[in-house]
Amino acid sequence: MTNLQSLSFYYPELILTVVILAAIIYDLTLDKSQSGKVGWLLVVGLIGVALAIVFQENKVTTLFSDAIVLDPFASFFKLIVILATIFVSIVSLQSGELKAYRKGEYFTLLGIITFGLFLMVSTVDLILVYLSIEIVSIMSFVLAGYLKQNTRSNEAGLKYVVYGAFSSGIMLFGLSYIYGLTGSTNYFEIQHALAGLDSEANTAIVMAMILMIAGFGYKISAVPFHFWTPDVYEGAPTTITAYLSVAPKAGAFALMIRFFNQVLADGGGMGGLDSSSIATLPWPEIFSLLAIITMTLGNLVAIQQNSIKRMLAYSSVAHAGYMLLAMPVMSGDSMYAIMMYLVMYLFMNLGAFFVVITVQNKTGGETFDDYKGLGWEMPMIGIVMTIFMVSLTGLPPTAGFIGKFYIFASLIKGGNEFYWLVMIGGINSVISLFYYLRVVKVMYFEGESHEKIVQPPTVMAALLLATAIPTVLLGVYWTPIADWVQRSLVFFIQTL
Amino acid sequence: MDNIFIIYSLLILFLPLAAFVIQIFFGKKLPREGDWVSVGAISITLILAISMFVMMLLEYNPDFRHEASFTWLDMGAFSIDLGFLVDNITVIMLLVVALISTCTHIFSIKYLAGDIRYSRYFAYLGLFTFSMNGIVLANNLISMYMFWELVGVSSYLLIGHWFEKDSAADASKKAFLTNRVGDIGFFIGIMLLYTAVGSFTFTDIFNGVANGMIAGTALTFAGIGLFLGAMGKSSQFPLHIWLPDAMEGPTPVSALMHAATMVAAGVYLSVRIFPILTPDALLVVAYVGGFTALFAATIAVTQNDIKKVLAYSTVSQLGYMILAVGTGVYTAAFFHLLTHAMFKANLFYGSGSVIHSMHHALHEKHDHETDPQDMRNMGGFKDRMPITYWSMLLSTFAISGVPLFSGFLSKDAILAGSLSFAQHHPEHFLLPVFGFGAAAITAFYMFRMMFLTFHGKPEMPELIEDIHESPKEMAGPLVLLGTLSIFIWYTLPYLNPLSSHGWFTHLVVPIDSVVPGNPSANSIEEGAHHAHGLAMYISIGVATLGIGLSVLMYLKKVLSAETWRNRAGFMYDWSLNKYYFDENYDKYLYQPTLRLAKKIAWIDWELYDKYFINGFGRVTSWASRVTGKFDYNIIDQIMVDGFGRIVDNLGGTLKKVQTGRLQNYLLYVTAGIIILMIIQSF
Repeated sequence: MTNLQSLSFYYPELILTVVILAAIIYDLTLDKSQSGKVGWLLVVGLIGVALAIVFQENKVTTLFSDAIVLDPFASFFKLIVILATIFVSIVSLQSGELKAYRKGEYFTLLGIITFGLFLMVSTVDLILVYLSIEIVSIMSFVLAGYLKQNTRSNEAGLKYVVYGAFSSGIMLFGLSYIYGLTGSTNYFEIQHALAGLDSEANTAIVMAMILMIAGFGYKISAVPFHFWTPDVYEGAPTTITAYLSVAPKAGAFALMIRFFNQVLADGGGMGGLDSSSIATLPWPEIFSLLAIITMTLGNLVAIQQNSIKRMLAYSSVAHAGYMLLAMPVMSGDSMYAIMMYLVMYLFMNLGAFFVVITVQNKTGGETFDDYKGLGWEMPMIGIVMTIFMVSLTGLPPTAGFIGKFYIFASLIKGGNEFYWLVMIGGINSVISLFYYLRVVKVMYFEGESHEKIVQPPTVMAALLLATAIPTVLLGVYWTPIADWVQRSLVFFIQTL
Repeated sequence: MDNIFIIYSLLILFLPLAAFVIQIFFGKKLPREGDWVSVGAISITLILAISMFVMMLLEYNPDFRHEASFTWLDMGAFSIDLGFLVDNITVIMLLVVALISTCTHIFSIKYLAGDIRYSRYFAYLGLFTFSMNGIVLANNLISMYMFWELVGVSSYLLIGHWFEKDSAADASKKAFLTNRVGDIGFFIGIMLLYTAVGSFTFTDIFNGVANGMIAGTALTFAGIGLFLGAMGKSSQFPLHIWLPDAMEGPTPVSALMHAATMVAAGVYLSVRIFPILTPDALLVVAYVGGFTALFAATIAVTQNDIKKVLAYSTVSQLGYMILAVGTGVYTAAFFHLLTHAMFKANLFYGSGSVIHSMHHALHEKHDHETDPQDMRNMGGFKDRMPITYWSMLLSTFAISGVPLFSGFLSKDAILAGSLSFAQHHPEHFLLPVFGFGAAAITAFYMFRMMFLTFHGKPEMPELIEDIHESPKEMAGPLVLLGTLSIFIWYTLPYLNPLSSHGWFTHLVVPIDSVVPGNPSANSIEEGAHHAHGLAMYISIGVATLGIGLSVLMYLKKVLSAETWRNRAGFMYDWSLNKYYFDENYDKYLYQPTLRLAKKIAWIDWELYDKYFINGFGRVTSWASRVTGKFDYNIIDQIMVDGFGRIVDNLGGTLKKVQTGRLQNYLLYVTAGIIILMIIQSF
């Protein structure tokens, strides 16, 4: 489709652009103390964008001369990203850390990240892969260092910049290999060209793919590309940490699924990596290895942490590992499982960070010691945090259990060569029980019980309920989500 | 969902749940502790249930049936649909539940006035009504099972309402655990049917059985499994032990759950699954029911606690219903369920009214020793509590099977069914013997209860001045349900007191069993019809005998109860002590189980926990300590700090910015990529 025609299908992004521009201008008219209003503008705008996306949910086509596609798969991830952005925007208005700063740019940057993520989940072109990752990354650098007077935040931002630049450099290197091998940046043409190469080129293909995995791995914080995660998560404003742990991860998974499914597997057939013409290459092995070391290292190191924020950082590394578990199969079931997991993960992980923000607002602390006796002092926090921790561990009847259930089920369906992955995943869940339930233990069994009961502010309480209720509800009745994911598992396919 | 019946059913199901949620969270803060929320919600369900009932009558169609379902879980090969089934039986049952529940709510306002957990009591009543309606509306076994368990939970909570009393706490535990025994059977039955048929809905299961997907012994076991669940809930021998103890709960609760609705759930289940029961399973059902009917009646004869008499009488009447299912006249079972619900709930309200009054009188006298429920302390209440007396008398006539009252019709249908069954299978002559024997004894002990409570001279004359009729909130339900003990409500538009022919028999017609080898509904009905005349004469005869004996012994005192008690000897003791069931269960079941549990606990704690679990914990903690040490000693101390030292040596000031660490990360990334590349080449 030509560029001009494409515009009529591109209105969600156009609306988003207008919202971003409006946010910048609106901010100029506001005092510093009033600058939070930009956040509400963003929230309202994003709801509009979401409606626009829902309106075109079933469209399947390519736009802008095969640069990006519009399909239910992309729409699904766009909605996930919007949900996360809305949650984080609202919580940012409540955050104590951001009080001293002007918040106009903050929300504008969140909007731009959202735009970058939209590109990320819908691109089928290597140039746009690189561009979208850069848009998201650069905005994230700024946001991670947003607390200008806080040295930890500055450090986080700086580290993130250098690390990000390095990773995208490596990925760009990989992309150039692919371009050199196939002479194209378009997924469909690459798939076609790769199938035509003889086996001497295999080493080059694998090299290129590994370099690209390094780039994707950096975005989803897979080990050994995760080193930025703990430092940045700890230093960044907690609201941004919450955002980084969910939205860019969802975007990067979408990017990765689309790239590997389209380029290395059979695209729409969802037959798995075996079904491709270059199936002899060791994709399942590489992904299995990444998944195992990611979750194992994430879990083992998380046990050692004393800061809840840092613990959650390593926990998010571990969860990336669980989702990666489904990548080696790359069947319809496994993509379905990853998408289910992301929905569940969105609620429970954001919820856990919201608890951290609430406690931080109250006491300024984020270590285990600050949580002593909290279950008695703030009963609501105690209950919802327990729900989130149980869900992150993956125990029934919570959303986390359903997410893990689908991941493991897809592996078992994938054949008996994947059974051992299920075992390792199971063992890891047991290990994670230790540090998740430590939070519960600290909240209820340590410290003194308080006579005075403290309730979180209304907006925070509403946000906590908005994440805690789905976390429990989706553990009991998830059919609507399952249906939605099933409907969304439609890719644009082009046969050359 | 455009169906009005389904919408009404949804409202009937969820209104009590809404009341429960409001009461449990805000009950204490609401004016009057929120009883009006519960009473309001339940009254609306009553109105809805009545309008559904009227609509059903207007349709007057025996095949009236609406179904709706939605998918709850979908995991590819395994999916569970939940749904509603609304037919004539459902509508009648909904009306029974709504009516008795409403009466109970209203009755409780005064009965529980001043209770410390007043709002919570109403909350639990709402939870119970919700779960009971769930059982009634279910169109499949799995959701029925879930609501079945919820009913068990609410029963547990309500029996233990006064949990400060040890006896109440024990009784609630006993009720819950005894029900579990039956529920295991229920679950096994469900799973047997699911593995064979692949669905939980009644329709699919019936079709599957008709197509021979499960047959023979497997089907018998499945049927008996489901029936075990019914035995637990409906308190059938040998799982009958919990119901008498459940009388520790507040009396309105006994009327609602342990007389009219919850215990009827077992009968309801049996009625629903009747078409898949094999002849062998039906025989088991019939004998369990028949034996329970007689057995419980013989216990009721000697009880002195007014509620215990009623409790055993309930067990006995439930046995009747189960007997009816077993002998094939399962519509008669449902008919008896309906009439029994009305008159037995009424009897419980009556006993509640008496106990309330006794309690009040004893309180005035500052007497906290005397048992307000013991009939030996009563007597002569007739003139003090006329409404209670006359209303209970009507229901007593009904339960004793006196013509012109509802119980006569339904009991007669059951007895005719068992008589006809014995006529076709002479080797099972015991079944009608059980039935008629129990009928005679029932008439005897019910009048014994009435005479001891209301007639004769007051046993405690000092109390009689303080015995008063109960307030209108309690008298209202009594009048209403007492009236419902009269036969015409069940035979309209006909007015023949000796025949059950009427709207009920027109609307609730038996369907054929889908199991090959079972007689058709038609032939069963024909047999019962032939036996009807004979059954009626015997039934009137035994009722007269029972009542007459009771009159002679307790009203006229021509026969001395004392002498007969001595003549009966050990039989009296056995009956009084409920055949020592509790003691024997304790000795041969609970104690050995406890000993076994202690042994297992020892293994669990001393061996498994100490060596396996702790060992695993130690290994994990060791592994993480090693990783942590590695992280700290090698990476942090040697590499990071080492790099820092180099930087220190080179430049000095850069140390504070700690950029060295970042570069280190980049080194790892590069190393990781190289390692990946090396690995893939193998």
